[in-house]
Formats: sequence, structure tokens, C-alpha cells
Amino acid sequence: MKRSIDLLVNGQTCSVLVEPWWTLKDVLREQLGLTGTKTGCEEGDCGACTVIMEGKAVNSCLVLAAEAAGKAVTTIEGLAGPDGLHPLQEAFIEFGAFQCGYCTPGVLMSAWALLDENPNPSREQVRDALAGNLCRCTGYVKIEQAVLAAAARLTPAVTGGVSMEGADTL
Amino acid sequence: MSSIVVLGQRQPRVDGFEKVTGQSQYADDIVLPNMLRGKVLRSPHPHARILKIDTSRAERLPGVVAVATAKDVPLSRYGTGIQDETVFAVDRVRYAGEAVAAVAAVDLDIAKKAIGLISVEYEELPAVFDAHEAMKSGSPLVHEELHTYKHLPLFEPFEGTNIGYHFKLRRGDVEAGFAESDLVLEDTYQAPMAQHGYIEPPVAVCWFDAQGRATVWSPSPKPFTLRAQLAAALQLPLSKIRIMTCRVGGSFGGKGDAKLEHIGLALARKAGRPVKLSMTRPETFTSTLVRHPATIRVKTGVKRDGTLHARQMEVIWNTGAYCASGAMVCRNSGHSAPGPYKIPHVKVDSLLVYTNNPISGGMRGFGSPQLTWAVECQMDEIAGRLGIDPIELRLKNAVEEGTLLYDGQVAHSVGLKETIREVATQIEGRRGRLAPGRGIGVACSQKSCASGSSSSAFVKINEDGTVIVMSSTVEAGQGSDTVKAQIVAEELGVRVEDVVLVAPDTDITPYDMGTVASRSTFHMGNAVRLAAADAKGKLFQLAADRLEANAADLEAVGGMVRVKGSPDQGVRIATLAAASVRKAGPILGQATYIHKYEAPAGVTEMPSEPSTFYVYGAQAAEVSVDLETGGIDVGRIVASFDVGRVINLTTCEGQVEGQVMMGLGATLYEEMLVDGGRVLNPNFRDYKMPTMPDTPMISTSLVQEPHQEGPHGAKGIGEAVTVTTPATITNAIFQAAGVRIKSLPVTPEKLFWALKELKTPGSAEGE
Repeated sequence: MKRSIDLLVNGQTCSVLVEPWWTLKDVLREQLGLTGTKTGCEEGDCGACTVIMEGKAVNSCLVLAAEAAGKAVTTIEGLAGPDGLHPLQEAFIEFGAFQCGYCTPGVLMSAWALLDENPNPSREQVRDALAGNLCRCTGYVKIEQAVLAAAARLTPAVTGGVSMEGADTL
Repeated sequence: MSSIVVLGQRQPRVDGFEKVTGQSQYADDIVLPNMLRGKVLRSPHPHARILKIDTSRAERLPGVVAVATAKDVPLSRYGTGIQDETVFAVDRVRYAGEAVAAVAAVDLDIAKKAIGLISVEYEELPAVFDAHEAMKSGSPLVHEELHTYKHLPLFEPFEGTNIGYHFKLRRGDVEAGFAESDLVLEDTYQAPMAQHGYIEPPVAVCWFDAQGRATVWSPSPKPFTLRAQLAAALQLPLSKIRIMTCRVGGSFGGKGDAKLEHIGLALARKAGRPVKLSMTRPETFTSTLVRHPATIRVKTGVKRDGTLHARQMEVIWNTGAYCASGAMVCRNSGHSAPGPYKIPHVKVDSLLVYTNNPISGGMRGFGSPQLTWAVECQMDEIAGRLGIDPIELRLKNAVEEGTLLYDGQVAHSVGLKETIREVATQIEGRRGRLAPGRGIGVACSQKSCASGSSSSAFVKINEDGTVIVMSSTVEAGQGSDTVKAQIVAEELGVRVEDVVLVAPDTDITPYDMGTVASRSTFHMGNAVRLAAADAKGKLFQLAADRLEANAADLEAVGGMVRVKGSPDQGVRIATLAAASVRKAGPILGQATYIHKYEAPAGVTEMPSEPSTFYVYGAQAAEVSVDLETGGIDVGRIVASFDVGRVINLTTCEGQVEGQVMMGLGATLYEEMLVDGGRVLNPNFRDYKMPTMPDTPMISTSLVQEPHQEGPHGAKGIGEAVTVTTPATITNAIFQAAGVRIKSLPVTPEKLFWALKELKTPGSAEGE
């Protein structure tokens, strides 16, 4: 039987009627119209549905909607701020870190969670943090570059980011 | 040509903002008023007669609006090369995963429940899964009426057999060639069934409007092919079907055939309401398309100095229960099967064989990945036997400008040797002094591009000087929208951000053969360029009057039409377009591009099916192998490819990197395990695709050997790289471990047993 829960999504409280077996992913997409969170495998294998819950990246296909009641959830729609795109989003455009774009919201949310916890990640830490996000298009090279570049921009004192110079091969 | 402004740069993608903000609209994001959700009931058996389908319990379930089976659609077959498929199984199922019935209900929970309430009585039939078994007389027939099906004239199925097509290539006298050779090597290689692995599962939103017109939102990369298949399957005129493509979450050849859309339309018609039908991840493995498992026998005769003299290939493609694009895979890959080399005596026999397995179709590379893997592994074997450097062996035999190719045309735009030398330079000095367990391998390849196909485009100039482009190339991630915008912007002298691309829609955008075969930059690039030039010609006529100049002396630069050499004499495109709307109508351009091959003077032989162009390239891989466990680590890949001309450096590199990783997956991990026709690993947990930690260092180097007919010299880069990677890595593993694995994927387990056999022959019971 459906029951009413309050979800705190992208800073807004929403009351929704959910069945006990509905997942957070389904409620975000079907009830709230937040279709930036993608359906890839529904088994937690691909990461396309990744959102932030209480500061951690989670596969929203593995979280029951009822579990998310009262917890702060951020989706791709909440990543950009009033001043424009998040530096991660800007870096993804600049480096071409996406192709078909289907995995991109999930990748960005995983990357956001990483930088939130570790503003200055090493290359290996980026690779570990994004190991759960499958991308069939890019080969991951430009995603790694974009995340490191965004990290460098978010914490300007830290050096070691990737610049576009030297990436040219022509 | 005016100076190049927007080509060859790192142009940010025109679909960037929407994709990083989650606003792109994929088919699954579409919601229509009153829309139902559908679910398909699929056969659990690989081969069975359907005795009875009882849908009454499902129909009685509250919330179910329609249940459809074969009875609800015309008895009509569709298909690309051979028309062998039906919307639902008719009387018998031929693979586990075939659609038997479908339900539309008010929500997905009810649709899933209703599927479970349909009872189907089957009588299991003898089935055949191995292509070699299927070729024997007395084997169960997958299609008893095969010879009665409609098919393209080229593909002649063999009556009373499971053989759908036999491709033959003949050049010289291969037996005489072997007799004249100093060394003849023969090997057999196996390639497994594999999956495209796009992250977006197929979805179709289907609707019949009040006039009885069908509208389908689909991620199809071939909207016009889909429209034709739906028309054939449902016996509707083309005017009654409209295909609108959404953003595509990857395809790689896997979404090219009707697999959901016809079922969705059958449900929508019966329900009188729109229906959304989506596949689960397991369904993408069992019920879409897979890469052909293939057995490839290669026999090569070579002179002592390394000159290739004769090559014979026998290829058996296991195409599963239906042909899909299998016959095209068999043919197109066959034309270039013996590799990018000058070989006087060549014989290729390529057989397409039906079995009761999931349907094999085109997957990135269209047969060439399997064939190139076999040929390039054997090239290394030849080099080893003759004591010739593998790079030298390839350079010695490489195709050059002017070489007469196997498909009968004269090679043009051939940067092959340059790519090989580029790769050699990047690994120079590293090959000679490798520690045990470390190896560097190389391979090279050629990839053909669909022949005899057309692309068209319309261009409209708005009254403010911005531009709308209507064309049917589908942006599936490869970057075609950005490339089209760049080419149009260059032609019209406007900014890339002033060009708008209309999404493919069979009611609106003109015909295109399809977003396949690395063909879009070349074919559609030409079409949009010519359409823009058509519009530009009209702008020049208007400007010539105003500027009192000759149209031939004008150029379009910076949003202006100017007199060449007099930059201050000009008029804004916006001014011209706005004035024209009132006085002469809007500025419209249109064009069609069709590649026509013309043999150079003195060449009398005409090709049968000439590839529009070939993309040539070379790769090197540096690997380390744990000689105890067989563990494999790929440290670096160097990829050099001849793209003709770079239009967008960022997306071009992105294509190379993505393909290297798809090739790495094919080499080391990916295999659909099928037992008795049932897929054992239909998910991303058990079917392993590369993840970010698996990515080696990838060095990309783009060679630009312009094609005389390409837009600004460009060719394409959508598939060529992934064709080369498996042999490159396998050759590196051979250099590292001293053993050659002749079946993909090259797993640590296979290596372990092969290493054990190498140390103590006879001990490896696992092999």
C-alpha cells in the first residue's frame, strides 16, 4: 500500500506517495520528473543512476524511496548553482569528457562526492572513485582529465591539475 | 576556399550544456498524456513449437489495457538483408528471448505481473547452436522456409540448409600462390559472442494519433531503415509512420533494427493509447543484437624476404536465429578481409550460418574486428618464423596510394605507412630491452565505409542570420552534431553557436542511409556543406546587387558577405536574409551527396561494391604478464590513425580513446557465455566491460592524408580503432609470455594453462 514520504531533493521538500518497493531512482524519475538520473541496469552495476544522499554517492536504483525519506538528496539537476555550471560541469565540456551523455549525470555525481570528501585527489583516487560508473563511449581518459582539472580549479592553491597544453597531438 | 576558421580546433560540443546538466531527452524521458507501460513476454526455449497461448488471465487483471500476440499483427516478415523476422514469434520460437506476447498496462508493476499470467504451451524442438554443426546435412533447420523469404538480390539463401549467404572474393590463383611461397602458415582463430554494452537500454514510445498515423520516439541510428521495417512488419504505408529520434545513449550498431518499436505499435493500436516499452539490461543481452561469434581460418603464403604472396580465408559467422545485418557483415568485412596489404593471390569464403542463438548483427567494426584479429595475429607469427621485425613486415607489404584493392578500386587517401612509422617512433628504444613478462605488440588495419549510400540536408537561414540545419544523422555520442555545425559554420562564415541542428525526424529531415559504418562525417559532412553552399549562392546573388559586385568575387566571413580583398565592402547575412523573406522568400539550401567511384585513367576493372573510403591505422600495446598466474596488465596503447582531415580534435581523440577501451574489453574480458542457447551472463556484473581503473595510458596520433572527396579532406573514425586493438594487445601478450592464445578473450586462465603447457608439455589438462 502506498504511503506518503517527504523527500528533500535539491534543497526542496517534496511529498510523494510511494509503494514500499519503489526505488529512489523510480521516484525521482517518475514522480518528480527529475529525468537526469538515468536507468542503466537497475542492479547497481553501471552507476548511471548515481545521486548524492547525505553527502555520499549512491546507486539510486538500490535505495528504496522509503529509505531516503527525510534525507538530503542531490541529483544532476541540483549540481549547477545560481551562478552557473559547477566547475566539474565546465571541465566536462572543456575536455569533452562525455559522448552519448547517458552515463554523464552519474559520473558527475560520483565525481562531486569524491571532491567533496577529498578536494585534492590523486589520479588513482579519481580512478577508484569512478570505478563504479561504466562509460562505453569515452574510454575514460577525458573524464579523468576533467575531474583532475576541476579539482585544481576548486582548490586553486593545489597544483598538479591537467592543462590543455600538451594534450594536443597535432 | 576561404581561410579555415572553425575546423581542426578543439570545438566544444554543441550538445555539451544539455548533457552535463541532465537535460538531454532520451526516449525513456518522454512522457505522453495517458501513456501506458508495456512489457514483453519472451521465449525461455531456444527452439520450440508454440502449441497454445492463453492470455485470458492477463487480460482480466485490473489495469491491463491490451495484450498482443502474433494474432494481432499481419503475417509479414521484415529484415535488412533477408526478410526473416516477425513482430512476435509465429507458431514457433527460434531463440531464447524471442518475443511471444506483450502487455500494455497503466503502470509497469501491473504489466510485469500480467506477463506472468500469460500461459504458453511449448513443444521443444531439436536445436542447433554451433555453426559448424548447423552446416552439416541433417542438422535441425532454423528456418525451414528460408528459400522462400524475400531478400536483397545479392544474398541468396541456400534451400534446405542453415546457410543464409556465401560471400566469395577471388583474386589471382591462391593455390599457385601457395606453391610459389617459401613459407605457408595456417591458423584458426575464434571470436566470441559479445555485446554492444551501450548504457541506455533500448526504449520505444509508440503512439497512433486520431488519423491512424503512427509516431515512434526511438534511439534508432537508422530512422529511415526503422520506418521501412515497421512498414513491412505492420503493412503500413510509409506516410503512416513517423520516426523521431531522441538523444541516443550509445548504440555501436546495437539499436539499428526494430526490436521494440513494432511491438510497441501493436500494443498502442490495440490499446488506443500511447505505450512506452523499455528493455531491462538482461533483455539487451538476449533479445537485441550481439556481435557475431566467428571461426576464422587464415592460410598465408609468404616469400623468404617477407613479401606476402597468397592468402586464403574461410570464415564462419554464427548469425543466430535471424539474419539482421548479418549478411552485410559477412559481405562488407569480406572485401577487406586479407588486411591492408598488397597480396596478388587472394581467396575468401565467408559463410553466414543460422543457429538457435541470440541474433548477431553489426557491432562497431562490422565483422572487421574479428577478421583483423586473426589476420594481424598471423602477421606476427609470420614475422617470428621469418625473423623479420613485425613493423618491417607490415611496412613492406602495406597498401599505398594507387594500390589496386581487393574490392577492385584503386586506393586513395592512404596514410597507412605514416601511421605505422608514427607508432614505431613512439615505441622506439623500448622494444629491445624488455624484462621477462613484458612485451610490446603492434598491429594495423583498414576499415571500410558503406558503399553506394546517400545523405541529404536542408539549410534554412533565419532573418537574424542564424542557421537551421535539417539532416538525419543521429547524434549517438560520436559528435556528429558538432561536426555538422562546424562544417556549416565554416561554409557560411557564421559562428558554430549560430547553427541549430534539427533532430532526425522522418517527417521533416531528409533521407539518410543511416548513422553507421563511420560514414557520417564524410557523407553527411558533404551534404550539409553542399546545402550550405547552395544557400550561400543565394545570399551571394542578393549581395551582388547591393554591393555592385560579381557574385564570384564574394566571400562569407564573420556573419557578413564581403567582397574578397575589400573587407569594408560588405553586408550582414542577417540583412540579406531578412530582406529576402519579404521580397523573394526565405533563403533555403538543399543538397544530396552520393559517393560515385571513378576508376583512374588506365584502370579498366570496376569494383563490385567499392567502399567509399578506407580508414587506415596502426597501434602498439605495452603489456606485462604475470608468468605464474597469467595475470595481464596493459600499461600503454599508442594509436595512430589516418582520418583524412581532423574536423574537431577533441571528439576525434575521444573516438580513438573510446574505441581503444572497447577493443581492450573485447581482448581481455568480454564474452557472452551461452549454454544451450541461453545466455548465462546477461548483466554487467558477469559480463565484464572495462572500467576507469582498467584504462592504460593512451597516446593518440592523428595522421591527415586528405581524401579528395571528403569535406575538407575528412574521412571518418567511428570504428577503425577498435578493429585493431585486439590483435595489438594479443601480439604484445605473445611477446611478453611466449604463448599465443587463438580465442578471444585472452583471459588469465587461458594464459595460465598455455604457460603451464609451455613449461611442461602435456601437463595442461585445462586446455
